[in-house]
Amino acid sequence: MTEDVIATRTRALAGALVEGGFARLRVRDGETEIELRRVPRALPAAAPPPMAADSVTAAEPATPAPERRAEVVSSDVVGIVRLPRPVLTEGLEFDGDRELAVVETLGIRNSVRSRGGGRISAVFVTEGQPVEYGQPLFAIER
Amino acid sequence: MFKKVLIANRGEIALRINRACHELGVATVAIFSDADRGSLHVRHADEAFCVGPGPAVRSYLNVPNIISAALISGCDAIHPGYGFLAENARFAEIAADHGLTFIGPKPSVINAMGDKATAKRLMSEAGIPTTPGSGIVASVEEARAVGERIGYPILLKATAGGGGKGMRAVASPDELPTFYATAQAEAEASFKDGRMYVEKLIVNPRHVEVQVLADDHGGVVHLGERDCSVQKPSHQKLIEEAPAPALDPAVRAKLHDVATTAARAVGYTNAGTLEFLVAGDDVYFMEMNTRIQVEHPVTELIYGVDLVKEQIRVAAGEALGFSQDDLHPHGHAIEVRVNAEDPLNNFAGGAGTLTTVVFPGGPGIRVDTHVYSGATVPPFYDSMIAKIIAVGRTRESAILRMERALGETRIEGVKTTVEFCGELLRDPEFRAGGIGVGWLPAFLARRAQPV
Repeated sequence: MTEDVIATRTRALAGALVEGGFARLRVRDGETEIELRRVPRALPAAAPPPMAADSVTAAEPATPAPERRAEVVSSDVVGIVRLPRPVLTEGLEFDGDRELAVVETLGIRNSVRSRGGGRISAVFVTEGQPVEYGQPLFAIER
Repeated sequence: MFKKVLIANRGEIALRINRACHELGVATVAIFSDADRGSLHVRHADEAFCVGPGPAVRSYLNVPNIISAALISGCDAIHPGYGFLAENARFAEIAADHGLTFIGPKPSVINAMGDKATAKRLMSEAGIPTTPGSGIVASVEEARAVGERIGYPILLKATAGGGGKGMRAVASPDELPTFYATAQAEAEASFKDGRMYVEKLIVNPRHVEVQVLADDHGGVVHLGERDCSVQKPSHQKLIEEAPAPALDPAVRAKLHDVATTAARAVGYTNAGTLEFLVAGDDVYFMEMNTRIQVEHPVTELIYGVDLVKEQIRVAAGEALGFSQDDLHPHGHAIEVRVNAEDPLNNFAGGAGTLTTVVFPGGPGIRVDTHVYSGATVPPFYDSMIAKIIAVGRTRESAILRMERALGETRIEGVKTTVEFCGELLRDPEFRAGGIGVGWLPAFLARRAQPV
């Protein structure tokens, strides 16, 4: 992968990271592995939240959410997305390899598979949506 | 006229087609690979689809994804540009099967002309002069027999060939086995077609080609000739000009006449180019390119015709808006290919980020390019990053203008052919006009010698 590809891929993945609400995202494509982490922005000390004074309990230091490993499943083809019924929803957990969607290209049904179990943490597409190569379709937590 | 055209190409030609479409009021859809996301052709199109990763086989040659993008976006036509799928008859057929007009000639004509041995036979039957040689040879022994008959030196050529790939000059029978094997392997790798044929090698001919345009209503015109004799040792063109300098008027007239006769003979439609070898008063048909060519702007500038717009109009079923009598060239135009390669190191291609890009301007200068300061030159594709074209009243004024333009050009980040082409323009032999295809290789050999 050239630097340019990495840069453009990273932008799309960063969007998926924020949208999916993940702390960390790792994608592997051949020899290249891209890992993105979100660093929580520290609040300025001089500006405490307005409710802080009224709160009864002492503010506990925020425990970092357990790190979830998420994978983005993207389209390998240019086509139209066909989602299965019942429609996959965020939060759905499943075991093993399963078909998540089909992308239709010139009447050919290209199966999009999960390649292992996990939990769907984001669905980026809707039924009938045109997608291009590399477009994120789902995010799966492993 | 079409409503929306998918441009199945990248780089400067994708941008060139985009401009023609927009001037005709036609919407455009660009395709791009992961490596070309930042290219100008993507930015200027009305819509754009990523069709695959960097390597061309998975993106710009990915027929299902390209056709799918055209259908999804509601296109009614596809312009293939040059290279990639431009001369792929199967692609043209698939497009037609999906209700998309392929902007180019009929698939049967692409097939006939794309097979160089068939093309030569058809032209020969139509009375067009061709170089002595053979049909497809099945083995090195057959090639050897042809060599005996027509005499050395000979040229081994891949019937699916183009851009100098799968081609070898053979000086004697001793060289034949090795060159036959390497040329065939190269053809197999490049075109998935290793069939070879043999031609007599015309020593140091000029490469002169004739532009033709033909519509579906029987209209066939030529737009004069271009001289593309400045070729790298790999046979790729580096500098082109129109009209061909120092060409006997009778030879010129013969070329024009033969080109239109040939176009009619094969039922040609759309824009095409017939390439000839010229040696003295003799002209030999070499091949026909069934697409727009890289060097088309030199013709546009002296004829005042927008060839890409004419391609689109003709494909939409319109008749040519002019006849041969309406076409008169004015002045002289010259084109320099700006390639991201090192001319002093066997034209080795380079890739990377262009830190500085400043193109020339002013009277008589046209620049066709898809790059800008900060743009990336991916390693996957042809090395050409720009074409600089100069037009003047005379050849001398066009060359002087080009020298001035090359002096204004600043490209940093990769090595380019800019300075080297300036050096070529100053050479007295080039300046005199009428050089052959052996001139640049000889120039390089001279230059490499210690003073």
